[in-house]
Amino acid sequence: MTSVNYYEKGGDVLISHHEKKSRRIWANLLVMAGMVPAAWAVLPAQPLMAADYAISGESNTYLRMKTTVNKRDIYPLYEYLRFSVASTEQDGSTTSLHIGGWGRVDLADKSSRDDNTEADLQFGYLSFQGAKNNLVVNAGRQFVVEGVAAQRLDGLYARSDFAAGFAASAYAGTPVVTEPTLRADDFVGGARVTHSDKKYYTVGLSFLTSLAGGDRYREEEGIDIWLSPVKLFDVTGSSSYNSVTDGWMEHAYTASFAPIENLRLYAELSSTNYSDYFYRVTTSALVFDPLVNGIDPNEELLALGGGGSYTMLKNIAVAADYRHYDYDVARDGNYYGGKVSYWVPDSQGAGLSVHRMDNGDSRLEYMEYRLYAMKKLGRTQLTLDFIDVNYDDDARMNGVDHAIALVAAGTYEINKDLRVGASLDYSHNPFFDHELKGLAKLTYLFDVNRSAEGGTKSEN
Amino acid sequence: MVPLMAWILGACANTASVARIHPEAVQGLPNCTECHTDSWGALNHQAPDFMIKHKVYAGSKFACATCHEESFCADCHAHKEEIKPNDKYFNSPERSLPHRGDYLSQHKIDGRINPASCVKCHGRQNNERCITCHR
Repeated sequence: MTSVNYYEKGGDVLISHHEKKSRRIWANLLVMAGMVPAAWAVLPAQPLMAADYAISGESNTYLRMKTTVNKRDIYPLYEYLRFSVASTEQDGSTTSLHIGGWGRVDLADKSSRDDNTEADLQFGYLSFQGAKNNLVVNAGRQFVVEGVAAQRLDGLYARSDFAAGFAASAYAGTPVVTEPTLRADDFVGGARVTHSDKKYYTVGLSFLTSLAGGDRYREEEGIDIWLSPVKLFDVTGSSSYNSVTDGWMEHAYTASFAPIENLRLYAELSSTNYSDYFYRVTTSALVFDPLVNGIDPNEELLALGGGGSYTMLKNIAVAADYRHYDYDVARDGNYYGGKVSYWVPDSQGAGLSVHRMDNGDSRLEYMEYRLYAMKKLGRTQLTLDFIDVNYDDDARMNGVDHAIALVAAGTYEINKDLRVGASLDYSHNPFFDHELKGLAKLTYLFDVNRSAEGGTKSEN
Repeated sequence: MVPLMAWILGACANTASVARIHPEAVQGLPNCTECHTDSWGALNHQAPDFMIKHKVYAGSKFACATCHEESFCADCHAHKEEIKPNDKYFNSPERSLPHRGDYLSQHKIDGRINPASCVKCHGRQNNERCITCHR
């Protein structure tokens, strides 16, 4: 095992990446292990407190079966678990706890690069929601989406409506680092202020700042809008600015129009300056280093496109989309296609789509065909999914110009809380002449008062 | 002084919070305009551009939470998701994302065409999935 030294702030402590990761995995596994008995301990008490408490939880257990490129059989067993409990007071305010995460144990050979076990606490926070002003206060591991921020952090978040159409939010904490192979920021904070008219617009101004060892790491400011000057038309989008590099990171705006009930049209425009947008991105595929097949910091992308959907008959719709990619450095490209879909909610559905990626460089061109169907028969749901991708140039695809994937899956609902399912994947692709993968799944829901409370908060 | 001003502004607002749980049961992808004639109608999940625009709407996450659990966001934005999406959502084949089929090969092209699109779900920070090949 190769160790990567990692400088830990606050002392001259050098610990290996592997040791640090092992500690984190065990900490996450302990939290995961604690969630199960906690959930089961709370459930028997539920009838006594049903009037004031709502309990929601879901356990998904997966067993995957496949053979790797190196001819190793792997059987990773996963547990995805989420649990929340909410207490509502007489004034309508609610205090709730939300925890979710996953763990993996390899029953045979290792399924990933490092360990036979892996775990991640995806979220775990205590929340207070006020009866007035949409007041929200969260503490713990959470995903904050506010203007320029789309950030997982361990910390605090608060938002509230204010007078005269204003609202504001603020957050501060430590960024969640799942794979600490590179030193990153150790503090992140920010805020967003919005002004709204419920019928016509919401305009938001936001900033995000982060520090690494007390030094500037990320500083971003942005504006986001939802604008609907007339009914059935709106413009949605945002712009973000990087104060560290002194450049616009991204502009992304979409205009939507529904002239008649069955027809929806949209146009989109986005531009991305790579040197500003990917600054401080440590994902190894997206660094400014051509030696590791990274990206070109001099590149600027302008994407223009649009599309629409039209419901011809009840439950049958056609859709089309087009996007033109204009680059400063690379050759321009186009992505376009269409889709026909049939859908009867909670009963059956099917769809067919065809898309083309067109580019001056044949290595970046392909045709994609997709056909899917779903049918519900009593307590059984069956799905079939077929994807066919034809690559114009097979040189980068191990000499394979035609990749297909066929997935057949089924679920059986034993009762309203318990479901079993399985899927079988066959594919012919650049890595395998014939690949067969299997998956078995067990889902247990322990939501309480679902029907009485309206929308089921599960995978909807 | 700032907390006092915030308290006064909040007291003046006196808006009613949105319901913690959506009062009507919703199945599948809802067309919010069937009931809502104000700004909530813009959240129409059946609109072909809803996926493109949902980040801006997520700025009102308390509204999303009336129907969605926190895990719904984490399914895509967790940055370490390993379960193949069509296994996790095989009863929703109409979803265009997360990726389906042999995307491992296709991502070589799509990642070149628009690498910014990867960051939206896979995050800004390095992770084990990418390191497996991109060392």
